[in-house]
Amino acid sequence: MNLDFTQIVPYIPFMLEGIWVTLGFVSVSIIFGFILGTLIALIKISRIKFMVGLADAYTSVFRGTPLILQLMIIYFAIPQLTGYNIPPFFAAVLAFGLNSSAYISEIIRAGIQAVEKGQTEAAQALGVPYRPMMKDLILPQALKNILPALMNEFITLTKESAIVSTISYLDLMRRAQVVGSDIYRNFEPLLFVGLIYYLLVMGLTMLGKLLERRLRVSD
Amino acid sequence: MIKVEDLSKTFGKTEVLSDISTQVNSGEVVSIVGPSGSGKSTFLRCLNLLETPSNGSVWIQDYEITNPKTNILKAREHIGMVFQHFHLFPHLTVIDNITYAPKQVKGETADQAETKAKSLLEKVGLTDKANAYPNNLSGGQKQRVAIARALAMEPEIMLFDEPTSALDPEMVNEVLDVMKDLAKSGMTMAVVTHEMGFAKEVADRVFFLDHGKLVEDSPPSTFFSKPETQRAQDFLEKIL
Ligand SMILES: Nc1ncnc2c1ncn2[C@@H]1O[C@H](COP(=O)(O)OP(=O)(O)OP(=O)(O)O)[C@@H](O)[C@H]1O
Ligand SMILES: [Mg+2]
Repeated sequence: MNLDFTQIVPYIPFMLEGIWVTLGFVSVSIIFGFILGTLIALIKISRIKFMVGLADAYTSVFRGTPLILQLMIIYFAIPQLTGYNIPPFFAAVLAFGLNSSAYISEIIRAGIQAVEKGQTEAAQALGVPYRPMMKDLILPQALKNILPALMNEFITLTKESAIVSTISYLDLMRRAQVVGSDIYRNFEPLLFVGLIYYLLVMGLTMLGKLLERRLRVSD
Repeated sequence: MIKVEDLSKTFGKTEVLSDISTQVNSGEVVSIVGPSGSGKSTFLRCLNLLETPSNGSVWIQDYEITNPKTNILKAREHIGMVFQHFHLFPHLTVIDNITYAPKQVKGETADQAETKAKSLLEKVGLTDKANAYPNNLSGGQKQRVAIARALAMEPEIMLFDEPTSALDPEMVNEVLDVMKDLAKSGMTMAVVTHEMGFAKEVADRVFFLDHGKLVEDSPPSTFFSKPETQRAQDFLEKIL
Protein backbone atom coordinates (compact mmCIF):
# COMPACT_ATOMS: atom_id res chain seq x y z
CA MET A 1 0.00 0.00 0.00
CA ASN A 2 1.30 3.32 -1.02
CA LEU A 3 -0.95 6.02 0.40
CA ASP A 4 0.19 9.43 1.53
CA PHE A 5 -2.50 11.92 2.41
CA THR A 6 -0.03 14.56 3.63
CA GLN A 7 0.70 15.49 0.03
CA ILE A 8 -2.84 16.69 -0.66
CA VAL A 9 -2.95 18.90 2.45
CA PRO A 10 -1.78 22.06 0.65
CA TYR A 11 -4.44 21.45 -2.00
CA ILE A 12 -7.33 21.04 0.43
CA PRO A 13 -8.54 24.67 0.24
CA PHE A 14 -8.39 24.46 -3.55
CA MET A 15 -10.49 21.33 -3.56
CA LEU A 16 -12.95 22.60 -0.95
CA GLU A 17 -13.61 25.62 -3.12
CA GLY A 18 -14.98 23.14 -5.64
CA ILE A 19 -17.91 22.51 -3.31
CA TRP A 20 -19.23 26.00 -4.03
CA VAL A 21 -18.56 25.69 -7.72
CA THR A 22 -20.45 22.39 -7.90
CA LEU A 23 -23.27 23.50 -5.60
CA GLY A 24 -23.48 26.79 -7.48
CA PHE A 25 -24.14 25.48 -10.95
CA VAL A 26 -26.15 22.52 -9.68
CA SER A 27 -28.56 24.80 -7.78
CA VAL A 28 -28.98 27.13 -10.73
CA SER A 29 -29.58 24.10 -12.97
CA ILE A 30 -32.10 22.68 -10.53
CA ILE A 31 -34.08 25.92 -10.35
CA PHE A 32 -33.96 26.29 -14.12
CA GLY A 33 -34.92 22.64 -14.60
CA PHE A 34 -37.72 22.85 -12.08
CA ILE A 35 -39.34 25.94 -13.60
CA LEU A 36 -39.01 24.62 -17.14
CA GLY A 37 -40.12 21.15 -16.02
CA THR A 38 -43.26 22.59 -14.39
CA LEU A 39 -44.15 24.49 -17.56
CA ILE A 40 -43.61 21.40 -19.69
CA ALA A 41 -45.73 19.35 -17.29
CA LEU A 42 -48.56 21.89 -17.60
CA ILE A 43 -48.32 21.62 -21.38
CA LYS A 44 -48.45 17.84 -21.14
CA ILE A 45 -51.73 17.90 -19.22
CA SER A 46 -53.22 20.56 -21.51
CA ARG A 47 -55.40 19.61 -24.45
CA ILE A 48 -53.42 21.45 -27.10
CA LYS A 49 -52.40 18.42 -29.13
CA PHE A 50 -49.58 20.08 -31.05
CA MET A 51 -47.95 21.41 -27.88
CA VAL A 52 -48.37 18.08 -26.11
CA GLY A 53 -46.60 16.42 -29.04
CA LEU A 54 -43.71 18.88 -28.81
CA ALA A 55 -43.39 18.41 -25.07
CA ASP A 56 -43.39 14.64 -25.43
CA ALA A 57 -40.74 14.78 -28.14
CA TYR A 58 -38.59 17.06 -26.01
CA THR A 59 -38.78 14.69 -23.05
CA SER A 60 -38.09 11.70 -25.21
CA VAL A 61 -34.95 13.21 -26.76
CA PHE A 62 -33.44 14.44 -23.50
CA ARG A 63 -34.14 11.17 -21.73
CA GLY A 64 -33.08 9.08 -24.68
CA THR A 65 -29.54 10.40 -25.15
CA PRO A 66 -26.54 10.54 -22.79
CA LEU A 67 -26.23 13.64 -20.65
CA ILE A 68 -22.54 13.91 -21.46
CA LEU A 69 -23.41 14.04 -25.15
CA GLN A 70 -25.89 16.85 -24.54
CA LEU A 71 -23.24 18.71 -22.59
CA MET A 72 -20.65 18.26 -25.33
CA ILE A 73 -23.07 19.40 -28.02
CA ILE A 74 -23.89 22.53 -26.09
CA TYR A 75 -20.29 23.32 -25.23
CA PHE A 76 -18.41 22.30 -28.37
CA ALA A 77 -20.96 22.16 -31.18
CA ILE A 78 -22.89 25.35 -30.55
CA PRO A 79 -19.78 27.56 -30.85
CA GLN A 80 -19.04 25.83 -34.13
CA LEU A 81 -22.48 26.75 -35.43
CA THR A 82 -22.90 30.21 -33.99
CA GLY A 83 -19.40 31.42 -33.41
CA TYR A 84 -20.39 32.23 -29.84
CA ASN A 85 -17.99 30.77 -27.30
CA ILE A 86 -20.30 29.70 -24.54
CA PRO A 87 -18.70 29.94 -21.06
CA PRO A 88 -18.49 26.57 -19.26
CA PHE A 89 -20.84 27.73 -16.50
CA PHE A 90 -23.63 28.52 -18.95
CA ALA A 91 -23.02 25.38 -20.95
CA ALA A 92 -23.26 23.34 -17.75
CA VAL A 93 -26.43 25.07 -16.51
CA LEU A 94 -28.04 24.75 -19.92
CA ALA A 95 -27.22 21.06 -20.29
CA PHE A 96 -28.16 20.07 -16.75
CA GLY A 97 -31.19 22.34 -16.62
CA LEU A 98 -32.63 21.15 -19.94
CA ASN A 99 -31.89 17.54 -19.12
CA SER A 100 -33.43 17.59 -15.68
CA SER A 101 -36.44 19.56 -16.90
CA ALA A 102 -37.29 16.53 -19.03
CA TYR A 103 -37.22 14.22 -16.03
CA ILE A 104 -38.89 16.73 -13.70
CA SER A 105 -41.72 17.35 -16.16
CA GLU A 106 -42.57 13.66 -16.08
CA ILE A 107 -42.46 13.59 -12.28
CA ILE A 108 -44.70 16.65 -12.01
CA ARG A 109 -47.12 15.44 -14.67
CA ALA A 110 -47.60 12.19 -12.78
CA GLY A 111 -47.94 14.17 -9.54
CA ILE A 112 -50.66 16.41 -10.95
CA GLN A 113 -52.55 13.47 -12.38
CA ALA A 114 -52.39 11.70 -9.02
CA VAL A 115 -54.28 14.57 -7.36
CA GLU A 116 -57.89 13.47 -7.06
CA LYS A 117 -60.16 14.70 -9.84
CA GLY A 118 -62.57 15.91 -7.18
CA GLN A 119 -60.10 18.63 -6.20
CA THR A 120 -60.29 20.20 -9.65
CA GLU A 121 -64.06 19.84 -9.67
CA ALA A 122 -64.41 21.47 -6.26
CA ALA A 123 -62.29 24.39 -7.45
CA GLN A 124 -64.27 24.69 -10.69
CA ALA A 125 -67.57 24.55 -8.83
CA LEU A 126 -66.38 27.52 -6.76
CA GLY A 127 -65.61 29.45 -9.95
CA VAL A 128 -61.84 29.45 -9.41
CA PRO A 129 -60.00 30.19 -12.70
CA TYR A 130 -57.43 27.74 -14.07
CA ARG A 131 -54.23 29.55 -13.08
CA PRO A 132 -54.92 30.15 -9.38
CA MET A 133 -56.45 26.68 -9.19
CA MET A 134 -53.22 25.14 -10.45
CA LYS A 135 -50.93 27.39 -8.44
CA ASP A 136 -52.72 27.37 -5.09
CA LEU A 137 -54.73 24.16 -5.03
CA ILE A 138 -53.42 21.47 -7.37
CA LEU A 139 -49.64 22.02 -7.61
CA PRO A 140 -49.04 22.24 -3.85
CA GLN A 141 -50.74 18.88 -3.42
CA ALA A 142 -48.87 17.40 -6.37
CA LEU A 143 -45.53 18.68 -5.06
CA LYS A 144 -46.11 17.16 -1.68
CA ASN A 145 -46.69 13.74 -3.23
CA ILE A 146 -43.69 13.90 -5.52
CA LEU A 147 -41.19 15.45 -3.14
CA PRO A 148 -39.26 12.18 -2.67
CA ALA A 149 -39.02 11.71 -6.46
CA LEU A 150 -37.90 15.31 -6.93
CA MET A 151 -35.31 15.02 -4.20
CA ASN A 152 -34.06 11.89 -5.90
CA GLU A 153 -33.69 13.79 -9.17
CA PHE A 154 -31.74 16.56 -7.41
CA ILE A 155 -29.40 14.01 -5.86
CA THR A 156 -28.83 12.30 -9.19
CA LEU A 157 -28.06 15.69 -10.70
CA THR A 158 -25.52 16.47 -7.98
CA LYS A 159 -23.70 13.22 -8.63
CA GLU A 160 -23.93 13.43 -12.41
CA SER A 161 -22.63 16.99 -12.23
CA ALA A 162 -19.13 15.50 -12.07
CA ILE A 163 -19.20 15.10 -15.85
CA VAL A 164 -18.70 18.86 -16.32
CA SER A 165 -15.08 18.09 -15.59
CA THR A 166 -14.99 17.01 -19.25
CA ILE A 167 -15.48 20.61 -20.40
CA SER A 168 -12.70 21.78 -18.07
CA TYR A 169 -15.08 23.46 -15.68
CA LEU A 170 -13.31 23.62 -12.32
CA ASP A 171 -15.86 21.75 -10.24
CA LEU A 172 -15.09 19.34 -7.42
CA MET A 173 -14.28 16.49 -9.77
CA ARG A 174 -12.05 18.52 -12.06
CA ARG A 175 -10.12 19.84 -9.08
CA ALA A 176 -9.35 16.32 -7.93
CA GLN A 177 -7.96 15.58 -11.38
CA VAL A 178 -5.88 18.77 -11.39
CA VAL A 179 -4.42 17.93 -7.98
CA GLY A 180 -3.83 14.36 -9.11
CA SER A 181 -1.74 15.38 -12.08
CA ASP A 182 0.13 17.94 -9.97
CA ILE A 183 1.33 15.48 -7.35
CA TYR A 184 1.34 12.36 -9.54
CA ARG A 185 -1.05 10.64 -7.15
CA ASN A 186 -4.70 10.12 -8.01
CA PHE A 187 -6.05 7.95 -5.26
CA GLU A 188 -5.86 10.49 -2.44
CA PRO A 189 -7.51 13.48 -4.14
CA LEU A 190 -10.18 11.27 -5.69
CA LEU A 191 -10.95 9.69 -2.35
CA PHE A 192 -11.11 13.14 -0.78
CA VAL A 193 -13.66 14.57 -3.23
CA GLY A 194 -15.51 11.26 -3.15
CA LEU A 195 -16.09 11.82 0.53
CA ILE A 196 -17.29 15.35 -0.15
CA TYR A 197 -19.79 14.16 -2.80
CA TYR A 198 -21.05 11.58 -0.35
CA LEU A 199 -21.54 14.20 2.38
CA LEU A 200 -23.32 16.51 -0.07
CA VAL A 201 -25.72 13.75 -1.06
CA MET A 202 -26.36 12.83 2.58
CA GLY A 203 -27.03 16.51 3.30
CA LEU A 204 -29.55 16.73 0.44
CA THR A 205 -31.23 13.55 1.62
CA MET A 206 -31.65 14.97 5.09
CA LEU A 207 -32.94 18.25 3.71
CA GLY A 208 -35.54 16.29 1.76
CA LYS A 209 -36.68 14.41 4.84
CA LEU A 210 -36.98 17.69 6.73
CA LEU A 211 -39.06 19.27 3.96
CA GLU A 212 -41.31 16.23 3.82
CA ARG A 213 -41.93 16.42 7.52
CA ARG A 214 -42.79 20.11 7.28
CA LEU A 215 -45.26 19.49 4.47
CA ARG A 216 -46.90 16.76 6.48
CA VAL A 217 -48.47 19.16 9.00
CA SER A 218 -51.81 18.84 7.25
CA ASP A 219 -52.04 15.05 7.73
CA MET B 1 -83.79 29.85 -10.65
CA ILE B 2 -82.77 26.85 -12.74
CA LYS B 3 -84.26 26.21 -16.14
CA VAL B 4 -83.51 23.12 -18.18
CA GLU B 5 -84.67 22.58 -21.75
CA ASP B 6 -84.34 19.35 -23.75
CA LEU B 7 -81.21 18.39 -21.86
CA SER B 8 -79.43 15.28 -23.14
CA LYS B 9 -76.08 13.82 -22.31
CA THR B 10 -74.29 10.96 -24.00
CA PHE B 11 -71.02 9.34 -22.99
CA GLY B 12 -69.66 7.78 -26.16
CA LYS B 13 -72.69 5.95 -27.48
CA THR B 14 -74.64 5.55 -24.26
CA GLU B 15 -77.32 8.10 -23.61
CA VAL B 16 -77.22 8.90 -19.91
CA LEU B 17 -79.76 11.73 -19.91
CA SER B 18 -82.47 12.11 -22.46
CA ASP B 19 -84.60 15.13 -23.16
CA ILE B 20 -85.04 16.54 -19.70
CA SER B 21 -87.00 19.77 -19.39
CA THR B 22 -87.92 21.35 -16.11
CA GLN B 23 -87.69 24.46 -14.02
CA VAL B 24 -86.80 25.04 -10.38
CA ASN B 25 -87.98 28.36 -9.02
CA SER B 26 -86.27 30.57 -6.51
CA GLY B 27 -86.55 29.19 -3.00
CA GLU B 28 -87.70 25.75 -4.11
CA VAL B 29 -86.10 22.59 -2.77
CA VAL B 30 -86.01 19.64 -5.13
CA SER B 31 -84.99 16.12 -4.20
CA ILE B 32 -83.68 14.00 -7.00
CA VAL B 33 -84.12 10.27 -6.51
CA GLY B 34 -83.78 7.21 -8.66
CA PRO B 35 -81.94 3.91 -9.04
CA SER B 36 -78.18 3.75 -9.23
CA GLY B 37 -76.93 4.69 -12.67
CA SER B 38 -80.13 6.49 -13.60
CA GLY B 39 -78.22 9.72 -14.26
CA LYS B 40 -78.81 11.71 -11.06
CA SER B 41 -75.21 12.84 -10.64
CA THR B 42 -74.82 13.56 -14.33
CA PHE B 43 -77.96 15.67 -14.28
CA LEU B 44 -76.69 17.67 -11.30
CA ARG B 45 -73.26 18.11 -12.87
CA CYS B 46 -74.82 19.44 -16.05
CA LEU B 47 -76.32 22.25 -13.97
CA ASN B 48 -72.91 23.79 -13.27
CA LEU B 49 -71.22 22.46 -16.37
CA LEU B 50 -68.93 19.99 -14.63
CA GLU B 51 -70.37 17.87 -17.43
CA THR B 52 -71.04 19.48 -20.77
CA PRO B 53 -74.52 18.63 -22.02
CA SER B 54 -74.63 17.04 -25.45
CA ASN B 55 -77.84 18.82 -26.25
CA GLY B 56 -80.30 21.32 -24.87
CA SER B 57 -79.89 24.38 -22.70
CA VAL B 58 -79.50 25.19 -19.03
CA TRP B 59 -80.13 28.58 -17.41
CA ILE B 60 -78.78 29.45 -13.99
CA GLN B 61 -80.29 32.72 -12.82
CA ASP B 62 -79.72 34.98 -15.84
CA TYR B 63 -76.90 32.92 -17.31
CA GLU B 64 -77.48 30.55 -20.17
CA ILE B 65 -74.55 28.38 -19.18
CA THR B 66 -74.85 26.09 -22.18
CA ASN B 67 -74.13 29.04 -24.45
CA PRO B 68 -70.38 28.95 -25.15
CA LYS B 69 -70.28 32.75 -24.96
CA THR B 70 -71.37 32.73 -21.32
CA ASN B 71 -68.66 33.35 -18.76
CA ILE B 72 -69.02 30.07 -16.90
CA LEU B 73 -66.77 31.14 -14.01
CA LYS B 74 -69.05 34.10 -13.36
CA ALA B 75 -72.13 31.88 -13.53
CA ARG B 76 -70.64 29.39 -11.10
CA GLU B 77 -70.44 32.09 -8.44
CA HIS B 78 -74.20 31.80 -8.26
CA ILE B 79 -74.38 28.04 -7.87
CA GLY B 80 -72.62 26.16 -5.10
CA MET B 81 -71.99 22.44 -5.05
CA VAL B 82 -71.50 19.89 -2.30
CA PHE B 83 -70.03 16.50 -3.17
CA GLN B 84 -70.47 13.05 -1.69
CA HIS B 85 -66.77 12.88 -0.85
CA PHE B 86 -66.43 16.50 0.34
CA HIS B 87 -63.35 17.35 -1.76
CA LEU B 88 -62.01 19.80 0.79
CA PHE B 89 -58.53 21.11 -0.02
CA PRO B 90 -56.40 18.94 2.30
CA HIS B 91 -53.40 21.28 2.44
CA LEU B 92 -55.47 24.24 3.66
CA THR B 93 -56.96 24.77 7.10
CA VAL B 94 -60.72 24.85 7.50
CA ILE B 95 -60.81 28.65 7.50
CA ASP B 96 -58.54 28.84 4.43
CA ASN B 97 -60.74 26.32 2.64
CA ILE B 98 -63.66 28.67 3.20
CA THR B 99 -61.95 31.99 2.47
CA TYR B 100 -59.94 30.92 -0.57
CA ALA B 101 -62.56 31.33 -3.28
CA PRO B 102 -64.16 34.54 -1.94
CA LYS B 103 -60.71 36.14 -1.87
CA GLN B 104 -59.53 34.71 -5.17
CA VAL B 105 -62.73 34.89 -7.18
CA LYS B 106 -64.74 37.72 -5.66
CA GLY B 107 -61.80 39.84 -4.60
CA GLU B 108 -62.85 40.05 -0.97
CA THR B 109 -60.24 41.26 1.49
CA ALA B 110 -58.81 38.79 3.98
CA ASP B 111 -60.75 40.52 6.76
CA GLN B 112 -64.08 40.40 4.96
CA ALA B 113 -63.62 36.79 3.98
CA GLU B 114 -62.59 35.73 7.46
CA THR B 115 -65.43 37.48 9.21
CA LYS B 116 -67.87 35.79 6.88
CA ALA B 117 -66.15 32.41 7.24
CA LYS B 118 -66.38 32.63 11.01
CA SER B 119 -70.07 33.36 10.96
CA LEU B 120 -70.58 30.46 8.53
CA LEU B 121 -68.60 28.16 10.82
CA GLU B 122 -70.86 29.23 13.64
CA LYS B 123 -73.88 28.42 11.50
CA VAL B 124 -72.63 24.87 10.87
CA GLY B 125 -71.46 24.47 14.46
CA LEU B 126 -67.72 24.27 13.89
CA THR B 127 -66.33 27.47 15.36
CA ASP B 128 -63.64 25.56 17.22
CA LYS B 129 -62.33 23.86 14.07
CA ALA B 130 -61.30 26.99 12.15
CA ASN B 131 -57.60 26.18 12.28
CA ALA B 132 -57.84 22.41 11.94
CA TYR B 133 -56.85 20.58 8.75
CA PRO B 134 -59.54 18.56 6.96
CA ASN B 135 -57.77 15.28 7.66
CA ASN B 136 -58.35 15.78 11.36
CA LEU B 137 -62.12 16.11 11.02
CA SER B 138 -64.85 13.48 11.05
CA GLY B 139 -66.89 12.91 7.90
CA GLY B 140 -69.83 14.88 9.22
CA GLN B 141 -67.58 17.78 10.13
CA LYS B 142 -65.91 17.70 6.72
CA GLN B 143 -69.25 17.87 4.97
CA ARG B 144 -70.36 20.80 7.11
CA VAL B 145 -67.14 22.62 6.22
CA ALA B 146 -67.78 21.82 2.54
CA ILE B 147 -71.23 23.38 2.85
CA ALA B 148 -69.76 26.45 4.54
CA ARG B 149 -67.14 26.69 1.78
CA ALA B 150 -69.83 26.69 -0.90
CA LEU B 151 -71.98 29.19 1.01
CA ALA B 152 -69.06 31.58 1.37
CA MET B 153 -69.49 32.43 -2.32
CA GLU B 154 -73.02 33.57 -1.45
CA PRO B 155 -74.72 31.51 -4.16
CA GLU B 156 -78.45 31.69 -4.83
CA ILE B 157 -78.56 28.00 -5.68
CA MET B 158 -76.97 24.97 -4.02
CA LEU B 159 -76.47 21.53 -5.55
CA PHE B 160 -75.95 18.51 -3.32
CA ASP B 161 -74.84 15.13 -4.68
CA GLU B 162 -75.54 12.49 -2.03
CA PRO B 163 -74.09 14.67 0.73
CA THR B 164 -74.66 12.05 3.42
CA SER B 165 -73.91 8.82 1.57
CA ALA B 166 -70.26 8.65 2.62
CA LEU B 167 -71.02 9.33 6.29
CA ASP B 168 -71.29 7.02 9.25
CA PRO B 169 -74.97 6.76 10.21
CA GLU B 170 -74.54 8.73 13.43
CA MET B 171 -73.26 11.72 11.47
CA VAL B 172 -76.00 11.91 8.88
CA ASN B 173 -78.28 14.08 10.97
CA GLU B 174 -75.78 16.80 11.76
CA VAL B 175 -75.41 17.39 8.03
CA LEU B 176 -79.12 17.07 7.26
CA ASP B 177 -79.88 19.61 9.99
CA VAL B 178 -77.61 22.16 8.35
CA MET B 179 -79.33 21.50 5.03
CA LYS B 180 -82.76 21.87 6.59
CA ASP B 181 -81.78 25.24 8.02
CA LEU B 182 -80.55 26.25 4.62
CA ALA B 183 -83.82 25.22 3.01
CA LYS B 184 -85.76 27.24 5.60
CA SER B 185 -83.63 30.29 4.86
CA GLY B 186 -85.00 30.26 1.31
CA MET B 187 -82.06 28.76 -0.56
CA THR B 188 -82.87 27.18 -3.92
CA MET B 189 -81.65 23.60 -3.63
CA ALA B 190 -81.30 20.50 -5.80
CA VAL B 191 -80.44 17.51 -3.67
CA VAL B 192 -79.61 14.04 -4.92
CA THR B 193 -80.26 11.82 -1.94
CA HIS B 194 -81.19 8.40 -0.65
CA GLU B 195 -82.55 10.01 2.52
CA MET B 196 -86.24 9.69 1.82
CA GLY B 197 -86.99 11.27 5.19
CA PHE B 198 -85.28 14.45 4.06
CA ALA B 199 -87.15 14.40 0.76
CA LYS B 200 -90.50 13.95 2.52
CA GLU B 201 -89.88 16.58 5.14
CA VAL B 202 -88.01 19.32 3.30
CA ALA B 203 -88.50 19.03 -0.44
CA ASP B 204 -91.13 20.94 -2.33
CA ARG B 205 -90.83 18.57 -5.28
CA VAL B 206 -89.36 15.17 -5.92
CA PHE B 207 -87.75 14.33 -9.28
CA PHE B 208 -87.66 10.64 -10.06
CA LEU B 209 -85.05 9.75 -12.67
CA ASP B 210 -84.94 6.40 -14.40
CA HIS B 211 -82.70 5.46 -17.32
CA GLY B 212 -81.86 9.10 -17.88
CA LYS B 213 -85.46 10.25 -18.10
CA LEU B 214 -87.25 12.56 -15.73
CA VAL B 215 -90.11 10.15 -15.12
CA GLU B 216 -91.91 11.92 -12.28
CA ASP B 217 -91.97 15.42 -10.92
CA SER B 218 -94.41 15.74 -8.06
CA PRO B 219 -94.76 16.98 -4.48
CA PRO B 220 -93.40 14.49 -1.92
CA SER B 221 -96.85 13.80 -0.53
CA THR B 222 -97.97 12.56 -3.94
CA PHE B 223 -94.73 10.85 -4.86
CA PHE B 224 -94.43 8.77 -1.72
CA SER B 225 -98.10 7.84 -1.33
CA LYS B 226 -99.25 7.31 -4.90
CA PRO B 227 -96.48 7.47 -7.48
CA GLU B 228 -97.79 7.67 -11.03
CA THR B 229 -95.52 5.17 -12.72
CA GLN B 230 -94.87 1.51 -12.16
CA ARG B 231 -91.12 2.19 -12.17
CA ALA B 232 -91.39 4.65 -9.31
CA GLN B 233 -93.55 2.18 -7.38
CA ASP B 234 -90.94 -0.54 -7.86
CA PHE B 235 -88.20 1.86 -6.78
CA LEU B 236 -90.04 2.91 -3.64
CA GLU B 237 -90.86 -0.66 -2.73
CA LYS B 238 -87.20 -1.55 -2.89
CA ILE B 239 -85.93 1.26 -0.69
CA LEU B 240 -88.68 1.73 1.85
N1 LIG C 1 -67.53 10.13 -17.29
C1 LIG C 1 -68.31 9.10 -17.67
N2 LIG C 1 -67.99 8.36 -18.74
C2 LIG C 1 -68.77 7.33 -19.14
N3 LIG C 1 -69.91 6.97 -18.53
C3 LIG C 1 -70.30 7.67 -17.45
C4 LIG C 1 -69.52 8.77 -16.95
N4 LIG C 1 -70.15 9.27 -15.86
C5 LIG C 1 -71.25 8.53 -15.69
N5 LIG C 1 -71.36 7.57 -16.65
C6 LIG C 1 -72.45 6.58 -16.78
O1 LIG C 1 -73.65 7.30 -16.82
C7 LIG C 1 -74.67 6.63 -16.11
C8 LIG C 1 -75.28 7.54 -15.09
O2 LIG C 1 -74.31 7.83 -14.11
P1 LIG C 1 -74.62 8.75 -12.86
O3 LIG C 1 -73.39 8.79 -12.06
O4 LIG C 1 -75.19 10.03 -13.32
O5 LIG C 1 -75.74 7.91 -12.10
P2 LIG C 1 -76.34 8.13 -10.66
O6 LIG C 1 -77.81 8.12 -10.82
O7 LIG C 1 -75.73 9.30 -10.03
O8 LIG C 1 -75.92 6.80 -9.92
P3 LIG C 1 -75.51 6.57 -8.38
O9 LIG C 1 -76.79 6.51 -7.61
O10 LIG C 1 -74.82 5.24 -8.41
O11 LIG C 1 -74.62 7.69 -7.98
C9 LIG C 1 -74.01 5.40 -15.52
O12 LIG C 1 -74.34 4.30 -16.34
C10 LIG C 1 -72.57 5.68 -15.57
O13 LIG C 1 -71.83 4.50 -15.74
MG1 LIG D 1 -74.40 9.59 -8.36
